[in-house]
Amino acid sequence: MSAAPNRRPFDAGRAAYLALNALLLGFLLLPIAIVLVFALNPTPYISFPPVGVSLRWFEKFFTNAEFMNALWLSLWVATVVLVLSIVIGAACALALARGSLPGRAVLTAFFMSPLMVPAILTGLALFQAYLLSGIGRPVWGLIAAHTLVAVPYVIRTTLAVLHNFDRRIEEAAAVLGASPVRVFFEVTLPLIRPGVFAGGVFAFIVSFDQFPVSLFLVVPKGETLPVVLFNYMKFDLDGAIAAASMVSILLALSVVLVLERLIGLKAYVKL
Amino acid sequence: MTSAAIKLDQVTKTFDGRVMAVDSVTLDIAAGEFFSLLGPSGCGKTTSLRMIAGFEHPDSGRVHVGGNDITDLPVHRRDMGMVFQSYALFPHRTVAENVAFGLRMREVPKPEIERRVAAALAQVALTGFETRKPGQLSGGQQQRVALARALVVEPPVLLCDEPLGALDRKLRQQMQFELKELQKRLGVTLVFVTHDQEEALAMSDRIAVMNGGKVEQVGTPTEIYERPRTRFVADFIGEINILEEGGRLRALRPEKIRLVAPDGARLSGTVETSNYLGGSTLLRVQPANGPSMLVRETHAGERASRAPGDAVGLAWNDGDAVALEG
Repeated sequence: MSAAPNRRPFDAGRAAYLALNALLLGFLLLPIAIVLVFALNPTPYISFPPVGVSLRWFEKFFTNAEFMNALWLSLWVATVVLVLSIVIGAACALALARGSLPGRAVLTAFFMSPLMVPAILTGLALFQAYLLSGIGRPVWGLIAAHTLVAVPYVIRTTLAVLHNFDRRIEEAAAVLGASPVRVFFEVTLPLIRPGVFAGGVFAFIVSFDQFPVSLFLVVPKGETLPVVLFNYMKFDLDGAIAAASMVSILLALSVVLVLERLIGLKAYVKL
Repeated sequence: MTSAAIKLDQVTKTFDGRVMAVDSVTLDIAAGEFFSLLGPSGCGKTTSLRMIAGFEHPDSGRVHVGGNDITDLPVHRRDMGMVFQSYALFPHRTVAENVAFGLRMREVPKPEIERRVAAALAQVALTGFETRKPGQLSGGQQQRVALARALVVEPPVLLCDEPLGALDRKLRQQMQFELKELQKRLGVTLVFVTHDQEEALAMSDRIAVMNGGKVEQVGTPTEIYERPRTRFVADFIGEINILEEGGRLRALRPEKIRLVAPDGARLSGTVETSNYLGGSTLLRVQPANGPSMLVRETHAGERASRAPGDAVGLAWNDGDAVALEG
């Protein structure tokens, strides 16, 4: 005689937990699904339900010179912002976490402040500052502005890694004969890298999707993709917008995936 | 392997200008000695070790190793080995890369690095683990990697900061044997920080018992256990009875007391509790007046002869009640 296998009793709490997660996931993914539907629907205006599947809006997006120029501008601005943000952000985070700076809490708040100020105010303020100081609106001004709002993300993620950092690991390297400079490059930098690059992903996306700050700082014929899309939407509301959104989403996603592959954002979680 | 003597000469360290972590400590550690710094947390043992390593700079006093004053030498030029309680392995490097690190910093040629890493891993019985990452190893294995990493550079001095503290009891005992054996075989001077008195007694050639930033007593394990100089040392190491005789304090180990008939005994009382400990039984005896006494009855085969409620007499030799200072 063998005992009947134990059935797992129905667990209402677990069911509710799964349902809540499904709901949240749906809430996050549904808008993307809707955009995808519009991007593939061939009707010349945004409508529901879709009547078919076509790539005409993607074709329109990729053959439109204005869209393409804006896409390339946005991509390379975001790339430069990524590089600048991780260098500045990681340096800031190290100084805040390691340097015995007076008024560290105040300094941290100061470096984080671009996150608190509405981006549209940051854009307006920079616009006026650039105008008054005669800088005008060069591309590097735009990059500086994006970097300003992107750096706090890198500081945040790097500080999080530094917070859990076992400094004995650096001491072990020093005892073994590593000078302070070598300790930094052999141990500190490799270990904070996941945090730095996680912030870098945010920095790239913050720049690539940046609208309010860019709005004030771009010049005609030198507009980033979100600004071009906004202008386009003022007159046409067709599937090209949806197609452009899909391209943006896919680009951002591929940046995340490439960084994950190259650096392993989840690497050495146990620090 | 060469080994070096270490001398701390009236070393003092305060933190934030207030807390006296180490208060004018002088220690002479012989070359090739297994020397333990023993004491409760906050007694200054770790700070002393960190001053030998160079992580802390003494406010006053000098540190000498091998006859050279190294007080102002930066950590990375001191040529020491160190093992940490948290192991502090490089999580992003393999076992072999961890062990090779010190050799790489010394710019040892690559073939020699490979040879010495292999030898060091063989020494700690970790051959075959070269390509693992530290995260894939057990605590005991990680500790052995840390040991190999410290010893592969053949340092004259090995510093250990509670290296076995994170291991479970059985493994810790095994590692105690291994570490001691390794130290004797290599002849390296080993400074061992611990708060575990049994560990210090088992492993050390000599022990410095520290309290409140000061050294209370330095001696061999037997001296420290049998002849504690201060009440703190007597209390900190093992069980102890403190007696007052003619205004002087005396320390009497529980195993030095014999159980005799109550009549005519030096002290008589009633057994209050009896804790069976396997190899021995620890009794608490309450005399008619005065504080209760701990008595250890060792038994070869038989269980304890006394039970709670029994009337017993206590006897001991005068020489076993050690006079304490102060």
